[in-house]
Amino acid sequence: MKLRTTLLHLPVVGLCLLWALILAMAGTAHAEVPKTFPALQTEHEVLSVHAATDLSAMEPLIRDFQILNPNTRVEFTEYVTNDLYAAAAKACQDGSALGDVLLSSSVDQLVKLANDGCARDVRSPETVMAPRWANWRNEVFGFTFEPVVFVYNREKVPAEDVPSTHLELADLLRLKPEAYRGRVGTYDIRQSGIGYLLAFNDSQQTTTTYGRLLESLGRAQAVVRCCTGEILDELEAGRILIGYNMLASYAYARVRAGADLGIVMPADYTLVLSRGAMVPSQARNANAAARFVSYLLSARGQEVAQRDGFFFGFGGETPPGIEGASSIVQTGVARPITISPALLAVQDDERRRRFIADWSRSLVEMSPE
Amino acid sequence: MARREPSLSTRLIVLISVVLTLGAAALTTAAWYYARAAANEAYDRLLVGAAYQMAEAVNVQGGTLTVELPVSAFELLALSDRDRIFYKIVDARGRTLTGYGNLATPESDAPALGSPDVQDGKFKGAAVRVAKTARYFSDPSVQGRVDVVVAQTTEARTALARELTLRAVALIAAMSALALGGAVFAIRYALRPIGRVGAALRDRDPHDVTPVTVSTPRELRPFVSATNEFIARLRSRMDLMQQFIADAAHQIRTPLTALKAQVELLSRQTMDPQGRQHLRRVQERVDQLSRLANQLLSHAMVNHRAGAVPLEPVDVVEIVRRAIREAVPDTLDRDILTALELPPLPVEVIADAISLKEAVKNVIDNAVRHGAATQLTLRVREQPGMVEIEVEDDGPGIPPELWSQVTERFGSSSPNGSGLGLSIAADVLTAHGGNLNFRDRNEDGFAVIMRLPSRMRQNR
Repeated sequence: MKLRTTLLHLPVVGLCLLWALILAMAGTAHAEVPKTFPALQTEHEVLSVHAATDLSAMEPLIRDFQILNPNTRVEFTEYVTNDLYAAAAKACQDGSALGDVLLSSSVDQLVKLANDGCARDVRSPETVMAPRWANWRNEVFGFTFEPVVFVYNREKVPAEDVPSTHLELADLLRLKPEAYRGRVGTYDIRQSGIGYLLAFNDSQQTTTTYGRLLESLGRAQAVVRCCTGEILDELEAGRILIGYNMLASYAYARVRAGADLGIVMPADYTLVLSRGAMVPSQARNANAAARFVSYLLSARGQEVAQRDGFFFGFGGETPPGIEGASSIVQTGVARPITISPALLAVQDDERRRRFIADWSRSLVEMSPE
Repeated sequence: MARREPSLSTRLIVLISVVLTLGAAALTTAAWYYARAAANEAYDRLLVGAAYQMAEAVNVQGGTLTVELPVSAFELLALSDRDRIFYKIVDARGRTLTGYGNLATPESDAPALGSPDVQDGKFKGAAVRVAKTARYFSDPSVQGRVDVVVAQTTEARTALARELTLRAVALIAAMSALALGGAVFAIRYALRPIGRVGAALRDRDPHDVTPVTVSTPRELRPFVSATNEFIARLRSRMDLMQQFIADAAHQIRTPLTALKAQVELLSRQTMDPQGRQHLRRVQERVDQLSRLANQLLSHAMVNHRAGAVPLEPVDVVEIVRRAIREAVPDTLDRDILTALELPPLPVEVIADAISLKEAVKNVIDNAVRHGAATQLTLRVREQPGMVEIEVEDDGPGIPPELWSQVTERFGSSSPNGSGLGLSIAADVLTAHGGNLNFRDRNEDGFAVIMRLPSRMRQNR
């Protein structure tokens, strides 16, 4: 059942993302047509979720939320991170409403929105329970725990090639340029906010390793894509062998669905992203939005997310079949991206421009693509 | 009718409470100001630190200004974890290099070398603190001043100021409670002498007209001395009255003596039995009158001396001897055997000798006049803690139901008595801390017993 839904949705999602991309490039941020989850009983209210998150991961959570709130119709609109941010920032500036809940893996953008006064604070027993590093001002909450991993095609990458650290990945690309040229994929940070956030955090972790990795990726003519999904598609198809800076939750969903993919938690450090949820200050149905955010943070919501949506828990619990450190939290390998105003440095226009320019110079302009 | 005044301690406590409350309010306000200043100073340092770090990140590269804002600057500001951060970097031509272009640059002419300027401001509807620092470039390609403006909302500092104030308020409240408790205790303690003076006045003997001698704090002295002045006036009035009675008695005695002499002369004349009987009645009445005058005089004297004359050690035996000598009249219509049973050694008590003698005289006089048929015995006995003077006679005595009555003024109703004698004796003994008692008739006769505290007991 689960498998079928995923497979059925994939081409649609892909197409729509492409469509969104085209529109984004045309200068206007547009999302696809919202997916509606009708109220289970008589409809009393509508909750509009605008998300830069795969619907397949969110769907179990929305359905479970509706069991608790049977009179709520949920409309789910999907975006790419940058488009969501652009739309939300514009709505905030105009004082108009964009949805009741914003979900984005690019938490730095949500922090920026909250810093600009575009968020509404949410207080409930559940929000108080959220870890400190995943809660800023009771306005931006991290509701998932998603390690950032390497994903490889088990069939085509020999076991001895599988990198376990960032440095090993850089070395692998340098030592076997023929095997991996044009067959390593990562985010296009010009289009993807989450890609930029992850790359920025990589650069903050170890400057030298990041430099070498960037150089190696450039030399290996790495393939850059807007979204994890596209890279995972190509990995499954065998066109790409190794994916770098992939979100473990999406990758694990593919593994569960039968794809022959391997997932590695880097042993030197593993970035951990906590997907952000925020209620915009102009939300039409702030009440339901607060309930939804509280649900996402509640024990029940977390359990559903860990079982069907994002597969990892705040305690660092790892589902079976993941390579690398078994518990990244206990071994100290985990580097959670703290949801705090420090992320504003990531969102600084000038710094972002320069960072992306450097990245593009190394990765895109060098490759003949 | 006088309005009921609130008590002194209530007034004091209310006043002190008001003062303490006002003081606490003033201190709380001061604490709030200090706390806010302290919180501002603490967080301003972070703000300035972040501004310096940002200024440091401005560089000239290839002839243009570049900024690569360090994450650490934001981490520094994120130490106040709920506050929002706004910043901008403006080049010499006023172009915003990065950050919030619409953030106002605080107007100040602080010199470049001076400490950076931190001000209160407002941005996006929120109260902020704004720090400004500048960096000067004199590169061939880039010249002039680059301003770095960093603003942060004030939630953390307000929270800190509030917490500091709350702690101060807790201390102030505790201190005020302590002060109030101390004040209540001190007021109670300080007002205690008033109660003492009141008790001393209340517990006084109604006849006591000596000055109040309770030791009092200086503040109460006017009150006590006014009371004493009043007592002195009362006493002089009483003295005047006693004096008047004494004078009157004295004045009456002279014509009485003349009258007696005349009656005496008249009795030597021959006259018919009817006339002689009338004359004898006149003689009796004159005697009665002269005795009354004597007793009034004695009463006035005793009363005058009570409380006015200092008591001193006297020999009771000697007093009794003198009393009997003076009391037993030379002329009596019957023979009375007078016996004295006195100890060989002097028996000392603290007393006024004249008053005491007067008391004993009156008791003897009373016995001779109303009781003793043939026998009168005087005894002085030392009992533990007291001295007894016993006057015993073989007369009919006084029935017990009249004992309490006869010691009151004019309380006895004997046909030829004034009714003052025993009351004078009782007054004297009471003034000496003793008392007057009776012993009912037995084989020896009826006795009046005067008890005085012995000297030993008084010394104790």
